[in-house]
Amino acid sequence: MFFLNRVCPYATAVIAAAFLLLAANSCTAPASPPVAIRIRWAHDPESLDPLELPNPQAVEGVNLLHGTLLQLDYERRTFEPALAVSLPLEQRVGDSLTLFAFQLRPQVSWDDGQPVTSRDVEFTLKLLACPTLPYEAARSRYGFIQAVQLDPTDSRRFTLICTGHAPTYRQAAGTLPILPEARLDPQGRLRRFSLAQLYRGQTDTALTAFAQAYQTAKGSGPGGTIPGCGPYELMSWQKDARLVFRRKANWWADQVKQPGAAVLQARPSVLEFRILPDDASAALALERGEVEVYPQMPARLFARLRQSPAASRRLAFHTASSFDIVTAIFNTQRPMLADALTRQALSQLFDASQLQKATQLDEGQRTVGLICPADRTNYNDSLPLVAFDPAGAGAMLRRAGWRHSPAGWIRAAPAGISRARQALRLALRYRAGDAMYETIALQFAAAARQLGIPIELLPTEPTNFSELIKQGSFDVCIRSIKGNPFSYNFTPLLHSRAIGESNLSRFSSPACDRLVEAIAEADASPRRARLLRQFQGLFQEQAPLVPLFLVPTRLAASKQLAGVRACDLKPGYVVTALYRVDTKAATDKP
Amino acid sequence: MFALTLLRQLLGTGLALWALVSAIFLLSHRDPTGPETWLLPDLAERAGPLRTARAEQEVARQAVRERLGLNLPLFYTGRVAQPTGRSRWRWIGSHNQYHQWLMTLVQGDLGRSIRTGEPVGARLAGALRYTLPLMSLALLVAATAALGLGVRLAATPRWWHPPVRTLLVAVQSIPLLLLALALLRLLALFDEGDGYALGWNWVFSFGLPLVSLVLVALPELTLQLEAGLRLQLQTGYAATARAKGVGEEALLWHHALPNALAPSISQLTEMLPALVSGALVVEVVYGLPGVGRLLAEAAALRDYPVLIAGVLLAGAARLGALLLADGLYRWADPRLRWHRATA
Repeated sequence: MFFLNRVCPYATAVIAAAFLLLAANSCTAPASPPVAIRIRWAHDPESLDPLELPNPQAVEGVNLLHGTLLQLDYERRTFEPALAVSLPLEQRVGDSLTLFAFQLRPQVSWDDGQPVTSRDVEFTLKLLACPTLPYEAARSRYGFIQAVQLDPTDSRRFTLICTGHAPTYRQAAGTLPILPEARLDPQGRLRRFSLAQLYRGQTDTALTAFAQAYQTAKGSGPGGTIPGCGPYELMSWQKDARLVFRRKANWWADQVKQPGAAVLQARPSVLEFRILPDDASAALALERGEVEVYPQMPARLFARLRQSPAASRRLAFHTASSFDIVTAIFNTQRPMLADALTRQALSQLFDASQLQKATQLDEGQRTVGLICPADRTNYNDSLPLVAFDPAGAGAMLRRAGWRHSPAGWIRAAPAGISRARQALRLALRYRAGDAMYETIALQFAAAARQLGIPIELLPTEPTNFSELIKQGSFDVCIRSIKGNPFSYNFTPLLHSRAIGESNLSRFSSPACDRLVEAIAEADASPRRARLLRQFQGLFQEQAPLVPLFLVPTRLAASKQLAGVRACDLKPGYVVTALYRVDTKAATDKP
Repeated sequence: MFALTLLRQLLGTGLALWALVSAIFLLSHRDPTGPETWLLPDLAERAGPLRTARAEQEVARQAVRERLGLNLPLFYTGRVAQPTGRSRWRWIGSHNQYHQWLMTLVQGDLGRSIRTGEPVGARLAGALRYTLPLMSLALLVAATAALGLGVRLAATPRWWHPPVRTLLVAVQSIPLLLLALALLRLLALFDEGDGYALGWNWVFSFGLPLVSLVLVALPELTLQLEAGLRLQLQTGYAATARAKGVGEEALLWHHALPNALAPSISQLTEMLPALVSGALVVEVVYGLPGVGRLLAEAAALRDYPVLIAGVLLAGAARLGALLLADGLYRWADPRLRWHRATA
């Protein structure tokens, strides 16, 4: 106790003094303008292996480190040549094969000056097919490429031989990252195996030895990154805290003269991604200048900052449309939801316009189907938007054979159903902890209960939610569907073969199957536009899903930055187009 | 005698820990969402035609399960299908997931993260680099300040005692999330946007989390200690000491404090597991890459090797804290030493 008696009254003072001293030191440190452009990320990328890509942040990071054959032009919403000199020549061999002939740019090279060749492309495909490496996800994405044919006369020409045909093949093949064979497999161990042999999954001692050597070579880079031919290199990676990327001084694309090209540009010299998981903390970090770009900002925070005079002085606010559609999905295998008329009636209980106002603060867009209204060629604007009409819903339910009784809505079961009567009561499943989904669920439940339909609300933890709706454990569920502006392939969503996987509504109709198959196989043409319009009509008539609204993209950024533009494609901005206005000459490359 | 007691306690602690992590390991395999469901892209993300996609997806799932060893039986016994179509319980042997996991754990290998493939030990060590200094310093500052403030508040009443007590009660009633956000907000407003450029970022990354944690722990520790000291000052032995001429300061520190410390020791040792398990709220609000966030994300993303290692660490700290509390009680209260020695 003597020790405590003597020490304690002073210990607090000593600790406080040390703390103040630290503060004083920090405050008097010479202020230097930050060079890096600081961007908020909500999650750590977890891995920057271009063949893993566990989350959107990983995709963004990998795009800075690695080059792909084609690159997305966010403004034109097209894929443009990047490592490839031009778009590939496509050739069909009957119905069984599609060939894509690529040629690499003559300037494309690795950091050590060695050229990127077709051997590297072949190596990358073999690497992802190697059964001793954990690249099952990449095998799923690129498994349609069954062989690579190298041009013996030109080391930069090659042909990808793909199984069957799909309009998405060109885009998918174009996003294949290219990895250096000389660095990752200097002994050429994988050359002994063909792509087909590797895909057959045969294990071999040589493959096991290769996998060990590869993991060692991979782990030698900062953060375990694989060297790439992209514009940036990773300088540091503090897990769950920050990542810093620095632009390569000798990036090969600097020699490519492409005035005004949106692809192959890398303006910021240093990019720092700060990982701030909490939205409110991230907004405060933006206010005090700790981060300068906040992509995918929630509606409420965006509105609060935009209305704040102090924030408006320093920040610029950008919005754009997106291809994410919030939808209500009916489980069409439930007997009470098996008929289109009942589903149409229930669709009218969603007040989509008010929900859009409440959750997106009047931003976003409504749509009649799964196609964005901005796509004027394919959007069926002659169809009306589903209106909120509880009275009309009641009338429609009666037309569907339902009768309102003191016990609720009941109807005689169709022949072949064991029960004599059906009762209309719905279990509504949605993702817990998201105010948008909760608001939609509560609005629908209130409208349905007013009409006399009992609703059981089932807020569900996100991972369980995905699995439970895949298993069909719901009557109605609410979730967002990611749209794809590059292809119109609705087979995963509505084809009967995808039931139990991605066809969450379990909708099955031969007519719909034929239509979505025809759309998936059609190239951009007036015929496809006709099919798409027909599809939207069928979709609204059958109502397996109710599209509520498209969620907008919101972006807030410091006014010291230029090149900021909200895009309708993820991540919602073009990071390589950013540059600092005031210190442009000093810190950023033109 | 003491060594034997300690050995018995350590053995009991080890067994309890083994039972805890084994239960979590076995329960984690009851999760219907296996890693193959979220490690692989959805059917909608595949480029190929749907007619072949489902079969290919199944092959990919099987490959993931094989790679992670999930195709093996879970435990030493299990239901095995018979040629008749029925299944019955059978002894499977050591070629099972639990045995393999336990053997690697015994060798000190915590396994690899399912999501990133990183060694779990390295991942946890990286997070501890942030959590341990922060939590240790917060606990040290809070305990020292509580000791000083508690003794001052229990001494002869002064004018500032009631407002300080009211303030402590008020701070104690504020949830940590609100407190952390309020501090961040206040400093953000005060800072007016130039803080980052002025090099104030250290305040956000270390100072504010420290202040938040100290403010949360301080009222509880102080008020408890003050109440204990006041109770002791009203006892007969305190009156005797005063009658014998012992001064108020000496009475507080030498006589009342050792007797009032027991509940505070419990409080302090209760806080010790947080040294390694982290303070989730503070880590999320201030964006610190500590153990709390690591474990919360591992739980949300079903990364069970990371989660089990975290539970193992927190469980060990909890059981270690109990042992420490026992030792501190013996140090603070000689009657316990005497009682055990004569028992």
